[in-house]
Amino acid sequence: MEGKEEISDTDSGIILHSSPDSPTTIMKDVITHTRAVKLKHKSLEDRLELCLLELRKLCIREAELTGRLSADYPLLPGEKPPQIRKRIGAAFKLDELSIPQGIKDSELNSVEAELSLQLQIYEAARKLCREEHLSKAVKKSRLQQCKCEEKKVKQLQESAFQLRLQHGRSSPRPSCISAPRGLGNSDDSSLSDSVLLDEEEVISQSSQPSVETTPSREPTDSPKPLPGPSPSPGPIPHQPPPAIPTLEELQSSFKDTLDLDLPPIEHSPWTESSLDQPYQKIKRKSRSSSCKSSSPAVTPVLPPVEACYGDVALPLPLSTHLRLCHTQSNSAPTTPEMHVRRQLSLRVPNSDPPLNLDKDRGRARIPRRRLVDYMVTPPDERGVYGNPAYHSNSETDDSNSEHSAPSYTSSPCREASYDLPRQCQPAYRYQQSSDKEHNSLGSQAYPPGPGYHLQPPQQRSGPSFYRDYYDDGMAYPPEMDMARLYHGHPAPCHSSRYEHWYEAAPVHPQCAVRPLPPHVRLSRAPSLREYSQHPPRGLPRQVVNEELKSWHQRNQFRPSSLDRQGAVRVRNIPGCESPLSQHQTYREQVPQRQVFQRAANTIPVQWFKEDDSEIASQV
Amino acid sequence: MSFIPGQPVTAVVQRIEIRKLRQGEHLILGFSIGGGIDQDPGQNPFSEDKSDKGIYVTRVTPGGPAEVAGLMMGDKVMQVNGWDMTMVTHDQARKRLTKKNEDVVRLLVTRKSLEQAVRHSMM
Repeated sequence: MEGKEEISDTDSGIILHSSPDSPTTIMKDVITHTRAVKLKHKSLEDRLELCLLELRKLCIREAELTGRLSADYPLLPGEKPPQIRKRIGAAFKLDELSIPQGIKDSELNSVEAELSLQLQIYEAARKLCREEHLSKAVKKSRLQQCKCEEKKVKQLQESAFQLRLQHGRSSPRPSCISAPRGLGNSDDSSLSDSVLLDEEEVISQSSQPSVETTPSREPTDSPKPLPGPSPSPGPIPHQPPPAIPTLEELQSSFKDTLDLDLPPIEHSPWTESSLDQPYQKIKRKSRSSSCKSSSPAVTPVLPPVEACYGDVALPLPLSTHLRLCHTQSNSAPTTPEMHVRRQLSLRVPNSDPPLNLDKDRGRARIPRRRLVDYMVTPPDERGVYGNPAYHSNSETDDSNSEHSAPSYTSSPCREASYDLPRQCQPAYRYQQSSDKEHNSLGSQAYPPGPGYHLQPPQQRSGPSFYRDYYDDGMAYPPEMDMARLYHGHPAPCHSSRYEHWYEAAPVHPQCAVRPLPPHVRLSRAPSLREYSQHPPRGLPRQVVNEELKSWHQRNQFRPSSLDRQGAVRVRNIPGCESPLSQHQTYREQVPQRQVFQRAANTIPVQWFKEDDSEIASQV
Repeated sequence: MSFIPGQPVTAVVQRIEIRKLRQGEHLILGFSIGGGIDQDPGQNPFSEDKSDKGIYVTRVTPGGPAEVAGLMMGDKVMQVNGWDMTMVTHDQARKRLTKKNEDVVRLLVTRKSLEQAVRHSMM
């Protein structure tokens, strides 16, 4: 370095200067001064040299770790940069816990120990793999090594798992998941700390894949560094022992952690679902209904109440849709009869003439309207319209509109009609059997039987009804049910209905306001017919009331199903306070049930089409 | 079939093409699935690694399209029409598989016997 020459020069210079005696003190001062400065200069230069040396060392060390010589490396002119061999952190410490202690489970323990070692090896191989600046051949061979290691890891994991199973410990293996993480951490820190850790007792395992042999239990105090895959001069940087949790630890803590931080998605019990049915959003609750198509057997078994509720949640979106279209029927209280009757036709397109809407609305606001609705079935009124099918409608306005309804139905229905079979299935199912007028296409495809338990509306609307059904223990043809329903409740229902109504009305006035679409009633006609044919079999009023009440209560208690369905929530009408409350009120409206039914069976996307198609079919 | 999260998964897969059977309005695949990241993987009877939340074939209808295509019970579905199935919820998987407008689904499945066969051939 230049510094040295300078120093020597100045030294000699000083001597030269000092040797001749200088007479003037000034001269001496100057001399002593320069001398002091020069001394300082020299000491500085010495320090610089030391620093450079240190830098050089550090650079080399860095190069060993990173594989590249830093550009800061101080090169003397003409000097060539030293050849650097990268070293891989191939030393690590295994937790004592993972090393077999005692004899019990010796096989499992040894496998686990092997596995943990193999994991480390694999990790090292992977790192080698990712190394940059490698020739193709080297890269290839390293890739192969890595894969080989991986395979071994898998084998070990497998065998460890088998052993574990044999030992009755079927807890999921955390090792494969968390061990690598731990490795990563330790690796990072090892780079910086490796010097300090050199003396640490470690079990080291070469990262060379070929050393697969017996990595198993080495006593912890026997350091056994093996040469890395690339022969590296000098000490092998050791990995710190730090936070590699042992397999055992991990295992034991695994369950804890499961409890502590639950995954964002909650685990539901492991279920399987057949892919032979169209996709439905509701999975768990409506499962029973989803099975229907596959099992056409006429099962008298109705779905549990909860299932029905779950289904109920679905209709919401539809009903909101209805509302928007002004097609929402008057929010008739949930009386079984009403509900059954209207099932078919609730879906009214926008085609409603404004006139009717106005009329209906005006009426709907007032309880009187409801009264009218409930009056529906009195026999004396039948005669009014002459058509037995329509006799059910006691409300003159509505019945009028009904008659005219067909003409209202607009183009959309026809367009969608090709979809009929599918769309109709749920809603029509029981009507089909009873209803000769609507021999909908769906009837062939779907025997009325299976539809039974699928029809939420019935069950929901009239608990008493289906309870009867159960009690008898037989499967009734659909018509029978309907007939029964009608017969049973006419008188008692009125009172209960009113109760419901009054409860609901104040909360959601908007629901009440919705006019009933005109042709809604068309569909009921068949049922009415049935009704007339069967002798009325009156239920004690008290019983009916109780049933209705309890049912109502049940409805209020089952919020959860609704919340679960993303779709339902999304479609909520902004106006409504909460999905739940909204939902409840809706339930009390006849149309929803129908909607619901359909929703359960079909894909949401198709709903709109279905509506149309339904209309079309009625027409 | 264990894997390290965040790391690429290596698996021996079989390509299976299932032609859905049209029955009326329904498209029938002829198999059932279980699992998904939203289900408890510990109850999965088919997985080796009980923390595996993948989608598994739980049932194959005899003579159904899936069986014809070579799907087997216990297979793990890795992809459906190119969509990843190793990190999806149960419902997402169902949705992918039962798309109405797709008459053919192409699956990548892996199963133990496949891996073993390959492993043996390599050893």
